[in-house]
Amino acid sequence: MILEVTNLRKHYRQRAGIFPALRSRERFIPAVDGVSFCLEEHETVGLVGESGCGKTTIGRAILRLTPATSGRIVFDGHDITAMSARELRPLRSQMQMIFQDLDAALNPKMRVRAILAEAITTHHRLSDGEVARRIGELLEQVNLKASKLSNFPRELAGGEKRRVGIARALAVGAHFIVADEPTSALDVSIQAQVVNLLRDLQRQLGLSYLFISHDLEVVQLISRRVAVMYLGKIVEMGLADRIARAARHPYTHLLWSALVEGQSKEASHAPLNTRTGAWEPFDFERPVSGCRFAPRCPVYEARGRPAVCTDAATEPQLHDIGGRHYVAGHFPV
Amino acid sequence: MGAPLLEIENLRTYFHSRSKRAFIRAVDGVTMVIARGETLSVVGESGSGKSVTALSIMGLLDAGPGVISGKITFRTDGGERNLLHDLEHYVTLGEQDGRIMEVSKDEAGWRKQVERIMAEVRGKEIAMIFQNPKSALNPFVTVGHQITEAIRLHTPTKHPREAKERSLYWLERVKMDSPRLRFDNYPYGLSGGMCQRAMIAMALSSEPALLIADEPTTGLDATIQSTIVGLLAELKSELGIATLLISHDIRVVSRLADDVAVMYGGTVVEYGPAPEILGARFGLKHPYTAALLASRPSAQNVEEKGGLPAIEGEVPDPIDVPRGCRFYARCNRVTEDIRDACARHEPALKELTPGHHVRCWLYGD
Amino acid sequence: MKRYSQTTGEVGESSDLSPWKTADALDLVYVGYGLLIVVLVLVSYVLGAFTWLPYDPEQIRVDLLNAPPGSAGHLLGTDFLGRDILSRLIVGIQAYFLPGLLAIVISLLLGTTLGALAGYRSGEVETLVTYFNNLVDSFPRLVLILLVIAAFKPGIYYIMVVVGVTGVPAVASLIAGKIEFLAQKNFIEAAHVLGLPSRVILLKHILWHHCMPLLVIQATIGMGEAILIETSLSYLGFGVQEPTPSWGNMVQAGANYFFQGKFWPSTAPALSILFTILGFHLLGDGLNGILEGSAGK
Repeated sequence: MILEVTNLRKHYRQRAGIFPALRSRERFIPAVDGVSFCLEEHETVGLVGESGCGKTTIGRAILRLTPATSGRIVFDGHDITAMSARELRPLRSQMQMIFQDLDAALNPKMRVRAILAEAITTHHRLSDGEVARRIGELLEQVNLKASKLSNFPRELAGGEKRRVGIARALAVGAHFIVADEPTSALDVSIQAQVVNLLRDLQRQLGLSYLFISHDLEVVQLISRRVAVMYLGKIVEMGLADRIARAARHPYTHLLWSALVEGQSKEASHAPLNTRTGAWEPFDFERPVSGCRFAPRCPVYEARGRPAVCTDAATEPQLHDIGGRHYVAGHFPV
Repeated sequence: MGAPLLEIENLRTYFHSRSKRAFIRAVDGVTMVIARGETLSVVGESGSGKSVTALSIMGLLDAGPGVISGKITFRTDGGERNLLHDLEHYVTLGEQDGRIMEVSKDEAGWRKQVERIMAEVRGKEIAMIFQNPKSALNPFVTVGHQITEAIRLHTPTKHPREAKERSLYWLERVKMDSPRLRFDNYPYGLSGGMCQRAMIAMALSSEPALLIADEPTTGLDATIQSTIVGLLAELKSELGIATLLISHDIRVVSRLADDVAVMYGGTVVEYGPAPEILGARFGLKHPYTAALLASRPSAQNVEEKGGLPAIEGEVPDPIDVPRGCRFYARCNRVTEDIRDACARHEPALKELTPGHHVRCWLYGD
Repeated sequence: MKRYSQTTGEVGESSDLSPWKTADALDLVYVGYGLLIVVLVLVSYVLGAFTWLPYDPEQIRVDLLNAPPGSAGHLLGTDFLGRDILSRLIVGIQAYFLPGLLAIVISLLLGTTLGALAGYRSGEVETLVTYFNNLVDSFPRLVLILLVIAAFKPGIYYIMVVVGVTGVPAVASLIAGKIEFLAQKNFIEAAHVLGLPSRVILLKHILWHHCMPLLVIQATIGMGEAILIETSLSYLGFGVQEPTPSWGNMVQAGANYFFQGKFWPSTAPALSILFTILGFHLLGDGLNGILEGSAGK
């Protein structure tokens, strides 16, 4: 077990009103609201969900870019939830992140060579010759031309920027990587290259990925297991193929049907998503009691709005339905 | 049917990079036709010039030199117009070995000329919806008011109350949930999907002859995306409005398009009926189109957990446009017979089957 | 008609031209002019050091009071004590330059430190720095300088220390703002994830890579300001003290004779002040346009 996340919560504080001192008006936005999962070595777990569901926040909390409000994160046997920056530093060489934004992820004033050299020497004192040799090795691993070393990030094409970002993560010797939407900012023809590269690297170096993405097809392709998130909670988790083919949660169904529907002109009026046009921005201040998905849930509608769905005492929890498949819902499809 | 609604001939739109002292050949000789009532979809990656083509039609380019050559014929009931009328009076081009190396343009004069031509076209006969609906709507004015204004400005309905009725009609038409309530909402109170609906309502409310939709679903969540696409499909069959749909998402395109133009590196490399271009027969296609279609995860490679058939290399830099075929460096179907031609000469668009054009030496004489 | 052209040859693999090669012509003129002023200042030091001046700037000639320009070998004339204006003008800049540098060093060092503290360690430290900034900012600068002069004695270095300290808030808020802006950027987060110590990230990634041009520009503006402050103080009689020449006290002394038609003793230093301050400001402006403007293509 390389990573174990238990009951992770992250609440963002939002100050309301002009007097921040009056704490009573403070609002807490639960971006992540009690999430538990684990990741085994050499495994890829996909985290899917729509924007604002908290999937990126989980990745950032694991790498301690943002402190968790509560919960436990155990990485490689070390509880890193409350570690000081100094204690954490040696572990940094084992866990890295690939950032979604291609342009913001690389220091615009540094050449590619400097970016890589910095990462290589962060945890190891190496001679210039060794650094150069290691850079050559990394270039080969991510399939980047050596002529790009003297370029600034803005002079690179999208795929090259992504490769530099991956090379930097490998440079420190990481074997666990949080990949936050690694393909979404890329062109279609480049996405496939990056997906292949990530898979090849996993095979060669035995990496583990937490693969955060909204692209269901890519997640299904690259992940062994998939967790589906909705508004800060995991609603369904299981092996990728089962999630894709035998989803039990109505929300997972909705996500996948949106995809299948796109592929054929005929199925354009699937009954499941006729109401999505009415979706409003979610109001965290007045959260729905009970199941969070109820206001948008087709099953809830179809069953005549049963009271159990909106009862605060019975918010559905993840439960095992066999075959390492977990669902949080009152009425699995 | 008669003559097509919009005909773009050999459009060139360039920008200039100061730091490289070179031209960014964003749109480099684009020709395409939009028939009445049909949806033409332009597919391409970043830097392929698809959005710049749309902005060129609308005359909405700020950076110089902008549009430097071409002809855009727009035919409405009011007659036939060239949206780039008299362009050649404002621009002088300097060529060197068949490549434009110098442009002199009277930009202020051309700006004025564009405003003169486009004043009665933009927003009225050609409407546009954008990728980011939230930033396209005025945040300080209610959604309903914005649509009402557009109606009073562009249609014969001038009376405020009638215009309001009309805008409510359009909000209903785009299936806005409780339109009377939304009418008085400000854009920030609406979700991304609802904002896009409001944008569509606003664009359609002036009853344009042509709708340009630039990445209308990009940036929206998957579930919302599919409802917006569904809405566009419905409106298309009901209103029969000609649409230029720009998208990088082949799934969206395959649901909406009658015709597809595939752009690569500033030109159209393939052009024809949607089923032929997006269909399963990979043989009779531009190698780029075929590779692009294959590079998305399919049921098959997900099943096998195999690698994706990727297109090697990078999307071409519009600053450094190759002399020969623009896809040559990444193409996996170059044969020894045509290698020379591919590397040196840009192929012309050839008609393979009626209406299906391909720019590739594979389909040479 | 606007002309655009492409240089012939391959463009693809080559990296961008340096910002100096593609800079706006006007910015280059600004920087050129600013550098000319800096060179003239340095030349003045050389001339002063070797006493290659036309006359001794402090030599009094009772027979040549307020002589007009050109008379008796005095190119710019003489002042009310018959001293050669050109020589005093050349040496006059020296009254400012080193003290001005002191003021700049103080405001940049202190400002950067406080700004970095405020920007990187938010919370209590930030509040403290903000209070300090507000305190300094709300105190009229001239009054503060007069207080210091009253407490010690009228000396240009005392004055410049005050100028330096009062310049701190501007630099501090600039740096703090830049740091807060950058801290949100992924590449700073990436540096944290790599395991780089915060101090390295702050010094290397933030200050060295992203604040340097800002500080250089701030320094040029600070120099102009230092000259201006001394001039106003000279007018009140608290600047550089006679007989040491400074442009400020030259203008002040000459102004008494201005309305008698003897304009040259005050006009020459006044113009010098004008063109020098303009020079430093344009230097900053031009550098800003070239270095900061180059970020976007």
